[in-house]
Amino acid sequence: MSLNLNNTAYKDRIEKGIADQFMRQAVSSAQERLQTGRLNEAQILGDWEEWRSLGEQIRNHTLNNLDYYLTELSDNVSKRGGTVFFAETKAEANDYILHVIKEGKGKKVVKSKSMMTEELGLNRVLEKADLDVVETDLGEWILQLDEDPPSHLVAPALHKNKEQIKETFIRERGYDGSDSPDELTAFAREQLRKEFLSADIGITGCNFAVAESGATTLVTNEGNARLVSSLPKTQITVMGMERIVPTWEELDVLVTLLTRSAVGQKISTYLTANTGVRLEGEVDGPEEFHLVIVDNGRSKILGTEFQEALNCIRCGACSNVCPVYRHIGGHAYNSVYSGPIGAVLSPLLDGYENHQELPHASTLCGACTEACPVKIPLHEQLIMHREKMVELGISPKVEKIAMKGYAKWASTPSAYKLSANLARTTLTPWIKNEQISKGPGPLKKWTHSRDFKAPSKETFRSWYKNRTKERE
Amino acid sequence: MKVSLFITCVCDMFSPEVGKDTLELLEKVGCEVDFPVAQTCCGQPAFNSGYTKEAKQGMIQMMKAFEDSEYIVGPSGSCVGMIKEYPKIFKEGDDWHERAVETANKAYEITQFLVDVMQVTDLKSNFTGRVTYHPSCHMTRILGVKEAPRILMEQVKGLELVELKNKEMCCGFGGTFAVKNDIISREMVIEKSFHVSETKADYLVGGDMGCLMNIGGRMSREGKDMKVVHITEILNA
Amino acid sequence: MTIHNRDSFLAHITRALNRTPRLIHVKKPVWDYEPQKEVFKGFNLEQLVDVFALQCEKIHTSLRRTNLKELNNTLKEVLLDHEASQIITSTDPRHDAFKVSEVFDELNLAGKNVHYWDAKLGKENQIIAEKADVGITYSDITLAESATVCQFNHADNGRTISLLPKSYIAIIPKSTLVPRLTQAMEKIHKYEEKGNQIPSCISFISGPSNSADIEMSLIVGVHGPVKATYILVDDI
Repeated sequence: MSLNLNNTAYKDRIEKGIADQFMRQAVSSAQERLQTGRLNEAQILGDWEEWRSLGEQIRNHTLNNLDYYLTELSDNVSKRGGTVFFAETKAEANDYILHVIKEGKGKKVVKSKSMMTEELGLNRVLEKADLDVVETDLGEWILQLDEDPPSHLVAPALHKNKEQIKETFIRERGYDGSDSPDELTAFAREQLRKEFLSADIGITGCNFAVAESGATTLVTNEGNARLVSSLPKTQITVMGMERIVPTWEELDVLVTLLTRSAVGQKISTYLTANTGVRLEGEVDGPEEFHLVIVDNGRSKILGTEFQEALNCIRCGACSNVCPVYRHIGGHAYNSVYSGPIGAVLSPLLDGYENHQELPHASTLCGACTEACPVKIPLHEQLIMHREKMVELGISPKVEKIAMKGYAKWASTPSAYKLSANLARTTLTPWIKNEQISKGPGPLKKWTHSRDFKAPSKETFRSWYKNRTKERE
Repeated sequence: MKVSLFITCVCDMFSPEVGKDTLELLEKVGCEVDFPVAQTCCGQPAFNSGYTKEAKQGMIQMMKAFEDSEYIVGPSGSCVGMIKEYPKIFKEGDDWHERAVETANKAYEITQFLVDVMQVTDLKSNFTGRVTYHPSCHMTRILGVKEAPRILMEQVKGLELVELKNKEMCCGFGGTFAVKNDIISREMVIEKSFHVSETKADYLVGGDMGCLMNIGGRMSREGKDMKVVHITEILNA
Repeated sequence: MTIHNRDSFLAHITRALNRTPRLIHVKKPVWDYEPQKEVFKGFNLEQLVDVFALQCEKIHTSLRRTNLKELNNTLKEVLLDHEASQIITSTDPRHDAFKVSEVFDELNLAGKNVHYWDAKLGKENQIIAEKADVGITYSDITLAESATVCQFNHADNGRTISLLPKSYIAIIPKSTLVPRLTQAMEKIHKYEEKGNQIPSCISFISGPSNSADIEMSLIVGVHGPVKATYILVDDI
């Protein structure tokens, strides 16, 4: 089972995304809003570059000592009455979660937003086992009703408009109100309240686990994660193994970077730190707590040149500045993880065969790298992927031959000079008014949508040679 | 000051006038300029496509060509940015590492060189017209040159500079991306063209011919009458 | 056994990090930068109050400022604003210290219903909270920068008091004000370091619940409270 959302071909996905005018409008205005929010908050905070460097340093240190911190975390969770399950694969994680639910005779599961469980495909597994699973994040709930995957790390339903949401509510839940976001949200509140109160299992993700205490923290605005971790009898928290900080002090820095980079907030409305089961005399909180720590391909990234990709704190800032994401939207990536970080992570977690186009879907403009709060060199990692694919022989043969030719050309000044001087002559049949509007060969793809400037009649180097001669 | 001109293969073949302007600008501020003829291409097309081995052959040629130069100055943020990356590509331990570091340390983009090294801000140039500036991605983000072009343009007599909306957003060029992902590239350049038109400028100015050929090519296809010029042309006017 | 598959799982990591065997102790380095300590450095309490007040507006939270003497009247006014007749609150010694219990007694006499969280009643507390118009709790640490109330939940201070009712009122002693998250985390870290058991839940709350999941338009009031009021009490 892969991270892929469906079997649609790359080109078809791109065209579908580009044809979706509403989605593109929504994405571009969201990008501008989120980007402005991020930049404003970063500016207020003082030396943002120092903050980023600190974030990077914390993440590097944590990942370099991940075995230690996971040991500390699991010991502490266990001390506080929780059970820790280390899952190497998706199947192990899903099986364990299902086992816990069945064991406790659970029937209704409420979930708060978690990319990890998207990666696990957990909902499908639970539904197959005849469990009633309800996503409670507003965006995720809308998508669940519509059987649609998320298209953005923090704004999962970004690609949908309010009319579509209204239709979904009418169809699935007998809604009879208008398409005003206020009314739609109020309806969701009322519908989901019932679900929270009647659920016996709560499943949450985890933004950061705090190793020194065995706490898992959740960064949310809607309050659903608090309900999910306060009301049901059993709580299962699922985290990618890299989602951890040494102590509360590092949590401060990473939460500060996360909420600003994600949506330009100083802090989320709720930052909730849960530690184990409820204590003696407490009413709220679970009686039973399980922490599932998932590898699912991550340990293969550790220790490689791609390790920094694991530093990601899932803020989505890279998507919010990406010009490619802007035009094709999240679904075109055909992976649980979209945007620049998705293009880096998906092939790492899931192999090139399922995602080989993604590393090429970038102009290498570097906007993602500049925006990343923990300084992951995203565009450089995309180049590294391209390099890997060349090494593995996945790249097209024609390109390989062309690049061999390039190497010869760029390393032999006489060959370079000759071809530079011949460029004009070679293209002469296609030149009109110093432009080429229907180019031959690989130029065709360029000239489909724009003119190509004709090579100059005289190269610089030959002009320079003449100038030097004249001067002598 | 002795300076070697790095023409870039794109300007060499497509826009020799950019080379002439760069040369004249450097001479104007008192530099002694030479043009090492053994120079070819910085290696970027191969490197960015993942063909590191092939790219390195071109890069070694460049290091050899500029071996004796004191400064390497070129009219492109992107190509100079590539040279700045050489030490990361010829990593420590590589036979070429030291020379990669040397080459990278002496490479400058033309506006960066004028402002940072020559400490010139006013080139006493005259250029009449409404101008908008596209700061190319590699110039601003890879090379980190954000201010120099603006500082220099602000001193040009007769020039009216209009802000370009979403100026730092990529135009969709991206080298082989424009061909490999031509459909996405098209949408990106359409948006850029739209914003350029919005400025009602007479001239679109930039510091990288690749981007300018992309945006200019699109605007020409759309039948828009936009004059596309490299920043050196304005500064040398 | 409450930890499953740990050794085999961590073995992959240890191998990937090119280390054998697993480390038994790691000392956290001194970080190269600490910009978090520079934020509002040297601000006095009054300046922090200004920062706090400004941020309240941004998070759609009404702020009432009062002193110990006036607290009762302020609270009454705020409850009137919220049209509160069903109220739930923590069982907290500060109720008496701040003489807030007098207001609650008065309300109960007037036919309203103020329920003190009562561990003995079990889940009944949640049912009451769900029906309540207003939940009232105190802030244990208050962050000026983000106008955040931090509370340590325990047997007498249920998590759902600030979560299930339609509105939320936080009583914030001015003495709890700190610049930002940094100082709160430092406190929790030190508390932990001294060998204390931290609460099962620490909640940082900044205003009413909200969402922008529908067309990015901000809607205040989703799963948690729809409205929030902070009462800042000058207790120093």
